[in-house]
Amino acid sequence: MKNKRMLAGPYLFWSVSFVVIPLLVIVYYAFTSDEGTFTFLNLAQITTPENLKALGMSLLLSFLSTLICLVLAYPLAMILSQKQVNQTSFIVLIFILPMWMNFLLRTLAWQTLLEKNGVVNSILGFFHLPALEIINTPYAIILGMVYNFLPFMVLPIYNVLIKIDRSVINAARDLGANPVQTFCKVIFPLSMPGVISGITMVFVPALTTFVISDLLGGGKILLIGNVIEQSFKQNSNWHVGSGLSLVLMVFIIASMALVAKYDKEEGGSAF
Amino acid sequence: MIRKYLQKIYLALIFILLYAPIVTLVVLSFNQSKTRAKWGGFTLKWYKELFRNEQIMSAFYTTLIIAFISAAIATLIGTAAAIAIQGMKQKWKTMYMGLTNIPMMNAEIVMGVSLMLLFIAFRMTLGFGTILIAHITFNIPYVILSVAPKLKQTNRYTYEAALDLGASPLKAFFKVVFPDIVPGVLSGFMMAFTMSLDDFVITHFTKGPGVDTLSTKIYTEVRKGIKPEIYALSTIMFVTVLVLLLLVNYSPKEEEETPVRKKVRRPSRVKKLLIQRVIPVAICIVFIGGGFHYAKESGVMGGEELIVYNWGEYIDPDVLTMFEEETGIHVVYEEFETNEILYPKVSSGAIAYDVVCPSDYMIQRMIENDLLSEINFDNIPNLKNIGKQYLEQSRQFDPENKYSVPYCWGTVGILYNKTMVDEPVDSWSILWNPKYKDSILMQDSVRDAFGAALKYLGYSLNSTDLDELNEAKNLLIEQKPLVQAYVIDQVRDKMIGNEAALGVIYSGEAIYTQKENPNLEYVIPKEGSNIWIDSWVIPKNAEHKENAEKFINFLCRPDIALKNFEYITYSTPNEAARELIEDESIRNSEIAFPDLSRYDNLETFQYLGIEADQVYGDLWNKVKSS
Repeated sequence: MKNKRMLAGPYLFWSVSFVVIPLLVIVYYAFTSDEGTFTFLNLAQITTPENLKALGMSLLLSFLSTLICLVLAYPLAMILSQKQVNQTSFIVLIFILPMWMNFLLRTLAWQTLLEKNGVVNSILGFFHLPALEIINTPYAIILGMVYNFLPFMVLPIYNVLIKIDRSVINAARDLGANPVQTFCKVIFPLSMPGVISGITMVFVPALTTFVISDLLGGGKILLIGNVIEQSFKQNSNWHVGSGLSLVLMVFIIASMALVAKYDKEEGGSAF
Repeated sequence: MIRKYLQKIYLALIFILLYAPIVTLVVLSFNQSKTRAKWGGFTLKWYKELFRNEQIMSAFYTTLIIAFISAAIATLIGTAAAIAIQGMKQKWKTMYMGLTNIPMMNAEIVMGVSLMLLFIAFRMTLGFGTILIAHITFNIPYVILSVAPKLKQTNRYTYEAALDLGASPLKAFFKVVFPDIVPGVLSGFMMAFTMSLDDFVITHFTKGPGVDTLSTKIYTEVRKGIKPEIYALSTIMFVTVLVLLLLVNYSPKEEEETPVRKKVRRPSRVKKLLIQRVIPVAICIVFIGGGFHYAKESGVMGGEELIVYNWGEYIDPDVLTMFEEETGIHVVYEEFETNEILYPKVSSGAIAYDVVCPSDYMIQRMIENDLLSEINFDNIPNLKNIGKQYLEQSRQFDPENKYSVPYCWGTVGILYNKTMVDEPVDSWSILWNPKYKDSILMQDSVRDAFGAALKYLGYSLNSTDLDELNEAKNLLIEQKPLVQAYVIDQVRDKMIGNEAALGVIYSGEAIYTQKENPNLEYVIPKEGSNIWIDSWVIPKNAEHKENAEKFINFLCRPDIALKNFEYITYSTPNEAARELIEDESIRNSEIAFPDLSRYDNLETFQYLGIEADQVYGDLWNKVKSS
């Protein structure tokens, strides 16, 4: 059994080289200036009005889209967990198959759908319903986030729900709980690991995206992801970009800590 | 009963949400019209075009090859790690699982940025290799997380029994443990493959010049308008996978396995494996084999070569083919989106481009920084076809006409929809008219946006006066609530699709949009505007200078210049080509060939220096985040 441990060697090497060290490089850049001297100025960049606004906007939009994802995903996971669907075919259908259509194209397609004279408005117009004018607004970005990240919410919840022992639910019913009580007192608390895992898996990518705001926001809404992307790709200001990334890491680490707290042995990972 | 219905309706709604964009893309792949804003009838031509489009095909195969290799290596490393972790003490297990969770939980942008900084710190050239490393890195956790649960289900005593019965550890592993975890390994591989295929953000940061995956290619094209061939390719990929999955799902279903039945069922599992896994894998191999074949054919053909760096959609692809056929020189063709993206790539010298097509002010900057080599005009006899006034105009950025040969030129103006705008359009002021709230498209680039505002205020569009710039900035902030979107070339699609009433656009796009939508009209505002020239230049570090001169000479040939003009519709400085234009309304078009003597307030952009650039950038950020 001893040489078995050696098998983790390549992985350890790889992780340290390409996960841990790069993060340290970010930390180094974040705390140094162009001349290589120690500074807090890069981190302080987050307090400029433009960047604070971008961060605030990101937090708001990602919070809302996480909430919407949760509200949409929970019933979906419930329905699916009660059906005897083949688990793999379900995962494939909602998660893997769409990915073979490129992520950017899928998001871009929403432009065609949502535009003033787009598909959705043509359909609404046919039924004499008021037009939906959300393209190039924060609402379109929320829609893009929900669309892209919904599977990350559904899967962990679903995976927890199917593992709940049916007899626990039956026991609750036998003891006189009505369906609402059963849900509030038994099912929902038991599914918490999945919910928490889902929340972080939606919140983190939503908070840090720059593509969705780029494609659906009409270039009018700057998220913190856009600011970081620009500082690396357009302004070539790596130190500031690293500083802002580090600020972002605080939120990510907070999410990870939250998951770690709930992640028991049979915790709700997506897989 | 009602509940059942509600459930069904709910599932259907979610399904529509998830699949509506996909259906849209499939439909667009059959659209006759080149713009996504208009349905031009059913066609299959994009599927034919697709296989002739070298750039898309090579991006596609790069994507597949990276996905395959990264998934394979990740599967190897990940499976080994999962086995090792399984046997560890709890403390170590937690540590390793924590390590696995970092890439899973970390933001893609942070991971991409951190890898980019690492690669640059260690002086690795960004390119295929760095993308591969990055993909392996984020793929490993998916493998570990899908193998680990399977390992947990295996019975460790069977493995020990095998050892006791005299099997070597390796044999025991492959005979006893491995068959049980195969589904986990395979689904880990598939997961990794799919993730790699769909990744954009991390590739965006770790890729170098010259390498494109489908994602990065599409991202470049978003600004230029997606080529319909991309829709066709995506549809093919999607349908292939769909068919494979149907195949898999209609094969015999796996029943709940109890330990007793396990042995009995194994033969049928092998059969199932064959249908579910081997066929898909075989198809993948065919694809990937094609990729290697293709890469060999297109990439390293040996012999003469020419590396061209041009704007997106800025040449008729047939012209490149003709050049290759006539000269036997193999063209490596690359595209950029903005002058600002082009400059660092040329100045860093990471790739030795042979011939590049920047705009006026960027050529000035390149000359000032000694990045260009003088062109030997003996090799370009066709220069005689270029109108004298354009060479004269070029002196503004290339004072002695030593470095550049004009390729296209034009103005910046307002494109408007006659049915949506009531008053006559002749001034920039209309872009500040509240009546057209949410119907105005502005250029998403610093100089063009500020150019409009500065001209409206009566200043030079090369102003470096802080007060003037601040005034322009405030004007742009004031305009922002009226703006529907800040875009670059999407103005074209959106105006054709009647999405907006007014848009700031380059004159070259105006001709094309008018053809597609006759209600559109282009005007150069009376306060004046920008006149620009894009010219071919040869960087100092070019390795095939003579080929580059041959190429420039070829493009100056009247028939070739005409072909290009008809394809890209940007005004040509080639007088001989203009004479050849058959359609009189275009030959004498005020849009394509305005009588420059009538305008005295058209200005060329000038390079303003690093400090002024920074000021513009900061002010633009203020506008965008206001």
